[in-house]
Amino acid sequence: MTRHIHIVKVHLLTLAFPTGKDPDPKPVLDDVDFGIRDGEILGLIGNSGSGKTMTSLAIAGLLPEAASITSGSIKFAGKDLLEMDPKERRAMLGRDIGMIFQEPSTALDPLMTCGKQLEEVLTAHKDLKMTPEERHKAIMDMLETVGFDNAEELFSRYPHQLSGGQRQRVLIAGAALLKPRLLICDEPTSSLDTVTTVSILALLKDLCHKLHITILFISHDLSAVRGFCDRVMVMKDGRIIDRDTASDILTNPRNSYTAELLTNARLDTRILGFEPATVDYSRSPVLTAKGITAGYKRSLFERVKKNGGDEAEDKNVLHDVSLEVFPNEILGLIGGSGSGKTTLIRSLLGLLPHEGTVNIRSSSTGAIFQDPVSCLNPAHTVKWHLTEALRASGKKTAGTLKERRERTYARITGVLEECGLGEEYLLRRPNELSGGQRQRVAIAMCLIQEPSLIIADEPFSSLDASSSAELLKIMTDINRERNTAFLLITHNIHIVRKIAPRVIVMSNGRICEEGTTAEVLGNPRSEAAAALLEAERLIHGN
Amino acid sequence: MQQIKRTKPKTYRSPDASIFYSVGIVLLAFVVLTFIVSLFATPYSPDATDAASKLLAPCPAHPFGTDNFGRDVLSRVMSASKYTIFISVAGVAISLILGTVSGIPAGYFGGLADRGIMLLGNSIMCFPGILLALVAVAVFGASVTNVIWALGLVFAPTFARVCRVGTMEIKELDYITHARVMGVKPLRIMTLHIFPNLVPQLLPATVIGLANMTLFESGMSYLGLGVQPPDASFGKMLSDAQAYIRVAPWLIVFPAMMLVFYILGLYFISEGLRVTLSKGGKR
Repeated sequence: MTRHIHIVKVHLLTLAFPTGKDPDPKPVLDDVDFGIRDGEILGLIGNSGSGKTMTSLAIAGLLPEAASITSGSIKFAGKDLLEMDPKERRAMLGRDIGMIFQEPSTALDPLMTCGKQLEEVLTAHKDLKMTPEERHKAIMDMLETVGFDNAEELFSRYPHQLSGGQRQRVLIAGAALLKPRLLICDEPTSSLDTVTTVSILALLKDLCHKLHITILFISHDLSAVRGFCDRVMVMKDGRIIDRDTASDILTNPRNSYTAELLTNARLDTRILGFEPATVDYSRSPVLTAKGITAGYKRSLFERVKKNGGDEAEDKNVLHDVSLEVFPNEILGLIGGSGSGKTTLIRSLLGLLPHEGTVNIRSSSTGAIFQDPVSCLNPAHTVKWHLTEALRASGKKTAGTLKERRERTYARITGVLEECGLGEEYLLRRPNELSGGQRQRVAIAMCLIQEPSLIIADEPFSSLDASSSAELLKIMTDINRERNTAFLLITHNIHIVRKIAPRVIVMSNGRICEEGTTAEVLGNPRSEAAAALLEAERLIHGN
Repeated sequence: MQQIKRTKPKTYRSPDASIFYSVGIVLLAFVVLTFIVSLFATPYSPDATDAASKLLAPCPAHPFGTDNFGRDVLSRVMSASKYTIFISVAGVAISLILGTVSGIPAGYFGGLADRGIMLLGNSIMCFPGILLALVAVAVFGASVTNVIWALGLVFAPTFARVCRVGTMEIKELDYITHARVMGVKPLRIMTLHIFPNLVPQLLPATVIGLANMTLFESGMSYLGLGVQPPDASFGKMLSDAQAYIRVAPWLIVFPAMMLVFYILGLYFISEGLRVTLSKGGKR
């Protein structure tokens, strides 16, 4: 097979979601036209809602029922997919076109062992010539290819016994098992930490070369495709607005929108204007935590199990963690998945029983969580959320009902505006907001309580680069203007480097390094910090 | 550019919610309209006997015919719809209140409160519901009020379970954690933060509850432990009509028809709710 032959050719594809009320709506994909060359890794980049997932679903034939392709064609290895019989098309899935999704935690059946699920892939495609032994062998080989040393052990494990990165590897193994010609990866790394991301990208690249698999890689992070993709296309509002080789597009973008994405991805401080407040370390800290040890109690099942041995003790996730946050400070807390970051903040917020003392010098502590989908109550409007937060802060004001109502309204709109949302958002419900907007409402809810400390648990991990940059700007503005301290938990070193003057590195439930950002990131002393830095260097380049 | 018209591959789709709603509402409208009219007037008094016109077949004067005492069946059906609707609505209201008040705290606090409340609920659910209701009515006497309380208590654990499971799921979400961090009190979290999110699960359960309660009530009246004579109820009318099934089938047909309309209408509406809510539930 020669290269430069298009394995997939998408020709002027237009796709819309017509409804009874609006038979001719604005198209979601508008004259999308591109080809994927045999054996290449093609990156498809764009913000949320730009149509990149719809493009991939159209190629795979998994479009939602309401979608309607109004014009155009999709050719796979010369055959028009849209003219094909649905049965024939379904048979192609897996065999010719493989797909990997964003969320590895929900893509595996929790009641089936990994080995069984991989076997399903082979049996579903009715390869009757294969004996069970051959199937087992094929799966073992594939598990080794995707980087498991203990393939035999993994075969009989259940998904909940694996980490996110391991699950994603199992999914990749499942997709690669049938040796498809095209592998569509829809943000396969966005729910993984930096270290795991690097290893998954390396694996995909390896598969591409070893098994000659063509990859369509979808991501919202422009800089993540550096050194991974051969070519990159940028999508905006359902159109492809820029395409070039990866090295060209990242060093010398010709399109202004691409340049903007790049600025956001790199968090260019000069252009975006982050200015965190200066910190006076002689003042007494706003949060002091001493000797926090916390963990989860053994389940009933584990308690009755007789051969407990060493594991019979309640499992502690945090071991003797002490930290201080000073007024006006943005303190970065970094560490890979499973290092105990989230357990620590749950203990700090008093949501988890723990040993040790937590002393917060503030009437209220704000909290921002990771998942923008569940951070707001779907049953209520933005206005209700803010009123409720104000009410919970317990600051009573005098005056008649009407005066109080007016004052509340003024404060709500004021805070909302500070977070970059206008008055028109007051009566919207969470399902009418984007991820970034929801996170901003969550910040507004914290702000209205006027806390001197806000604890943010990975608020950026599910936002695209532009929303992250906007949120960061808001956070630094608040930090500067309101003298609010932030405890920012993240696995993105890049963000910490830009805005946090001091950083703490966690690993295995312990603080392994602490110091000014320049010191820690410039000259890491601990293994965990070095690993995070190395991963960041590979992804973002320096 | 070529314009391509493509027909969608034929796949099974669950019918539009509006179909379920329209069928359900039409069926329910029969019963509800009868009920509303009966509040103001019935063609004859439902209890008035007339020895001269016993077991008359449906005719212009008596559209649904008359029974063995010469009572007008149409008037009796109208008056029976009053009890059926009243008992089912009041009974569901009682079990809904008891269920939410016990189920939400059980799910929210967990631990001992959960164990205690669920033990009580499960012990009620151990016994066949109709048997428990019959025993309660037999002990406390057969009256409309007792029937309502008995049915309300028997149905409460079902609602408590729906609330408990929903609460356990919702309380783990970030917005509830956030409310706790903000310092909102548990009672307020349960009523204002959690309850509105349970409505999509409670609504279909309530409609199905209405239908099931109607069936229970008819069963009890059929056995003579529900609405007492001379008041009419569908179950009682059916049991009285049994003796005349060959000579006067209209005595069976009309009350049974109303019962079927009411229950079927409720089932259709709950099916519509299920379709609507499962579509709207997608994020």
